Amino acid sequence: MSDAYATTDRLVSADSNIYDRGLDTAIALSVVGFALGLVTLVNLVPPGASGGTLTTAFGTLLAVVVGAVGMTGLASYTNVVPVTSQRVRGIGLGLVVSTVALTVLAATLPVTMATLLGTVLLVEALAVTVAGVTSRLDLVDTEPNMSAGLLSGVAFGAIGLAMGGAAGGALAGFGSLLWLVGAVAAGVGLFLLAILPREDLGSTLPTAIVVGALGLTIVTGTIGVGWQWNPQTLSGGFTGGAVIPVFLLVGTLLSAWSAAKCRAGFGARGREYGAFLVINLNAFLMVAMMATIVVFVTIKGVGYAFHGLSVGALTALVLLTPALLAAVQFARTPAGANDWNAGARQLFRVLPLAAVGALAATFVSVLVTGSPLRYPYTYTVQVNRQGQALDTAIAVTPDTTVGTLLLIAPALLLAVTFFRSFGSLRKVGTESERTGSVRQAVPTAVLALVVLIGLFLVLGPAPFGLPLGGTLGFAAVVAGTVAAGGLAVSPLVGVLTSDGPTLADSAQREAPLFTLGVFGGLGLLLTALVLQPVAGVNPQVGPVDLVPAVAFAAALASLALATLTTIAKRSSEATITRRLLTEETRLGLVGAAGFTALVGLHVAATGVSFTVLGVSVSNASSLSWPMVMQAYIPLGAEPGGIMPAIIGTVWLVIGATLFAVPLGVGAAVFLTEYAEQGQFTALVEIATNALWSTPSIVFGLFGAAFLIPRLGGDESLLAGMLVLGFMLLPLVLITSRESIKAVPDEYRDASAALGVTRWETIKSVVLPAAMPGVITGVILGVGRIAGETAPLILVLGSTLNATAAVDVIGGFRFVSGPPFIANDALLTASASLPTQVWAVIAAGVSGSPQMGWATAFILLMVVLTFYAVGITARTYFRRKLNYE
Amino acid sequence: MSDSINTETSTDTQTNGRQTVETASPSTETTAGESEEQVREEWRQYQFDGDTKLSVENLDVWYGDDHALKDVSMEIPENSVTALIGPSGCGKSTYLRCLNRMNDRIKAARIDGSVELEGTEIYDPNANLVELRKRIGMVFQSPNPFPKSIRENISYGPRKHGDINKGLLARLFGRDDTEEEAELVERSLKQAALWDEVSDRLDDNALGLSGGQQQRLCIARCLAVDPEVILMDEPASALDPIATSKIEDLVEELSKDYTVVIVTHNMQQAARISDQTAVFLTGGELVEYDDTDKIFENPESQRVEDYITGKFG
Repeated sequence: MSDAYATTDRLVSADSNIYDRGLDTAIALSVVGFALGLVTLVNLVPPGASGGTLTTAFGTLLAVVVGAVGMTGLASYTNVVPVTSQRVRGIGLGLVVSTVALTVLAATLPVTMATLLGTVLLVEALAVTVAGVTSRLDLVDTEPNMSAGLLSGVAFGAIGLAMGGAAGGALAGFGSLLWLVGAVAAGVGLFLLAILPREDLGSTLPTAIVVGALGLTIVTGTIGVGWQWNPQTLSGGFTGGAVIPVFLLVGTLLSAWSAAKCRAGFGARGREYGAFLVINLNAFLMVAMMATIVVFVTIKGVGYAFHGLSVGALTALVLLTPALLAAVQFARTPAGANDWNAGARQLFRVLPLAAVGALAATFVSVLVTGSPLRYPYTYTVQVNRQGQALDTAIAVTPDTTVGTLLLIAPALLLAVTFFRSFGSLRKVGTESERTGSVRQAVPTAVLALVVLIGLFLVLGPAPFGLPLGGTLGFAAVVAGTVAAGGLAVSPLVGVLTSDGPTLADSAQREAPLFTLGVFGGLGLLLTALVLQPVAGVNPQVGPVDLVPAVAFAAALASLALATLTTIAKRSSEATITRRLLTEETRLGLVGAAGFTALVGLHVAATGVSFTVLGVSVSNASSLSWPMVMQAYIPLGAEPGGIMPAIIGTVWLVIGATLFAVPLGVGAAVFLTEYAEQGQFTALVEIATNALWSTPSIVFGLFGAAFLIPRLGGDESLLAGMLVLGFMLLPLVLITSRESIKAVPDEYRDASAALGVTRWETIKSVVLPAAMPGVITGVILGVGRIAGETAPLILVLGSTLNATAAVDVIGGFRFVSGPPFIANDALLTASASLPTQVWAVIAAGVSGSPQMGWATAFILLMVVLTFYAVGITARTYFRRKLNYE
Repeated sequence: MSDSINTETSTDTQTNGRQTVETASPSTETTAGESEEQVREEWRQYQFDGDTKLSVENLDVWYGDDHALKDVSMEIPENSVTALIGPSGCGKSTYLRCLNRMNDRIKAARIDGSVELEGTEIYDPNANLVELRKRIGMVFQSPNPFPKSIRENISYGPRKHGDINKGLLARLFGRDDTEEEAELVERSLKQAALWDEVSDRLDDNALGLSGGQQQRLCIARCLAVDPEVILMDEPASALDPIATSKIEDLVEELSKDYTVVIVTHNMQQAARISDQTAVFLTGGELVEYDDTDKIFENPESQRVEDYITGKFG
């Protein structure tokens, strides 16, 4: 955290005027419009939606945007992830403003989604016009060029040709040549309008005309939801539902570009910013296209795949903690100078944080409104030959129970993370007389409690028939807990009652108390917690357990401390004070996380759930697993799962990898390190490449005709593993060879000069250095083989809706004769995800299309999981090699 | 000539060698830009008092058709620093790499002649390459530590030679040499004057060290296998002056216990640290070999004098 961050405190600095803020909002509105275009394109919200549906949709959007901006703003305010770029701040504010406006419109006016989208375009057109004209009248300080440039002119001319042609044709019919006149007129007109005036008008007015025209056609209903156009020359047709989103995408891209140019004051900087924004939106569009495949499969399959999954909003929030930590770590990057580039970097660093914030706000909104968030989905099953609809969904319920494990894990994670960045507690503060005696008393008390624990452990809770455990244990637990509570709250009281001139001064003065309070409190409470079951006591205040109640209060106090010091830190000026206080903040957060983990530990140990302020912690988690984790249930009313297929695919990939990787890497080592580079290696290379491009069905036929007769004569898991292994082999060989070649010869020389043999060198130096490349090959190969269908149908069988998974590990058994070990599970046919998809969707075998989509979705997830494992392994080896 | 060299190659060498000398001489002339000077045999004779560590006789090296080293004979005294100087491409690095048979690793290289280490022929077909390279260590031009920790870099050689056993199996058999390893690492690093700088981060990756530290680590790695001769191929050429001076001090220190042969482009460096200097000139021939003082103050060859005084090269 450099000092450059901390200097800018205000959300929007004084040097951005109303013009700048307006344009930031216009850009933000374009981004929102672009996103809405995508949402309507994939029919997540249909263009004809209105009334309650529309309000709900925009309400969710509002929660998402407010959460995203709010989380980022909070992180920026606390200097955890300082956002200094005025443009990023402005766009953030603009996002909130435009979403609020759209939500209000949707809630108050009887409009449809399409009308709102058209309005967005009209507003954009107006904003861009005003910006351009203001600049032309020299009311603001800009540096426009003489002209917007030939490239813009040609681009606008092309757009004009298309739009003029379409408009002319629609008005006068395509039979006459009027459409040509319209096209030429509009094209030339826009071309001239773009290149003739000064840049500020030339790059805004054509945009305004195009965007305005698009908006008007939508708002006036010329192209409405029910609109349809089936040209004679085409076999297909266009519908309003498809055209309106496309208008939005094009229009918002254009207006974003214009607004960005205006925002940066035209000229060279304007072009830079405009190009930057358009290129990024373009890149986003491209990523969106790839994501569309994933999203489409997800939308189709997620309902079935996670059918039966319901999670309490509070649990979901707790589960977000690791994601939050990861996002913060990612976002904490030095931003450098305050130019547009730094802004862009900040924007991309902050995006994951914003995503976590958006999710958090959505979950909070469930808690606040009390209405569950459901993924709507209907599944039909045949019961007694009658179709019966089961309303199944993924639900986020307003349940306020948090499972103990779900609480302990993130809390410990949080505590450890802050511990690590916090460092040694000895660094904080100096010894003061007031805390000195307490500092000595705390270890003594902990020691006494530990002795007591030992006593009860050795002698039992009632030694020599005396009820010591009851009375002594009870007293000790109560005393320890109360002392811990006092310790944890004392720094707060100390800071608030201290007579320092500012809060910062008080906080700084009480620094030693902070450490003592947090660590002393945690230690005492933990020993008291351990003492409880040993002594067989459970002190309660009314219906509430004492230990978790105190831990909860201490967590709140620690959180309050963190908040107080954060505020104090910001109002203080000296750098040293600021740095010191940052440690206090972290200490406070360590305390909060630690005490929260204690609550969970207590509930886990005693099994008694703990409730305070409507939030309860219990052993039973508020998470229910999806149906897909089960096997298929034949003739069941509930749709069963595809667990056997998942397990089959996982085993196939593991088997193929175990077969191909040693062989491939070994061959690569031989070819690169030992074999004479010549015709033989060239031949092997050609053969390998040919093998890699061999169609998979050929492998399948080979497996069916060659392997199966030799492996028990039936379709089997082992045959599938081997065939997929053959397919994986060439890629592993090719990539391993390349990466072994890339290992610098200096390593080999150095090793040889030490008198180490070639094989030892390969084993200890060359292969470890080549590991990341080898793993890359395996990742790519696994991606291919995991989804392979054709050969599997031939060698694995296409078991549909399997009711039991293959038990490979349990299938191993020892036999008296050679080969002494046998595994029947490997020799049986198995289900696998790709064959399941093929059977359900393509062949139309019994089962529903939903189940096929769900299987495809799960297959995608399985492959992505393999990717994640591979990428983690690769990162590990890279780190090891590159001293990071 | 040693008997280990087979006759066929040997005759081939002699005819081939002469031809190449004849064809190569004009190029020597043009590069040197001097009158054709005949190298006299007595310029290459160096008389010294101590024992001979390495004895090279009639060494020729070809890379394909390129005759890189021509009929070099020289004796290297024990526990001293021998500098090899000369312009680029004169064959001094090739010569150095012949002394521990590193040229075997270059497939196109053909070597003819005899190199004896304390009277044992190293080009004997039955010579133990592992033993040889343990006795003759090498430090390369650019620092090349392995992408491993500093500790692993040092103990790499001894572990691979089985002198240090670590790991689960060693512990099971009660032969865990962790302490020996620690001693070895400390001793080697201290010898290479690196201990003070890295003693608190022995488990960090060696690639995180600076260039000069990496080179000293490479020297320490070489010392860890306890060699008798250390070959250095321009060990300071990629380093800044301060790191260079550290390496030079180290070389002088090492020459008390080891025989150091060092290739360098830097003539001041050769003058500063070496006891005797061999000058190679373009064409791969050894022109003069004598006491460093003699070479730098009163060389016999006109071309050597020109080279040393900077008239060419």
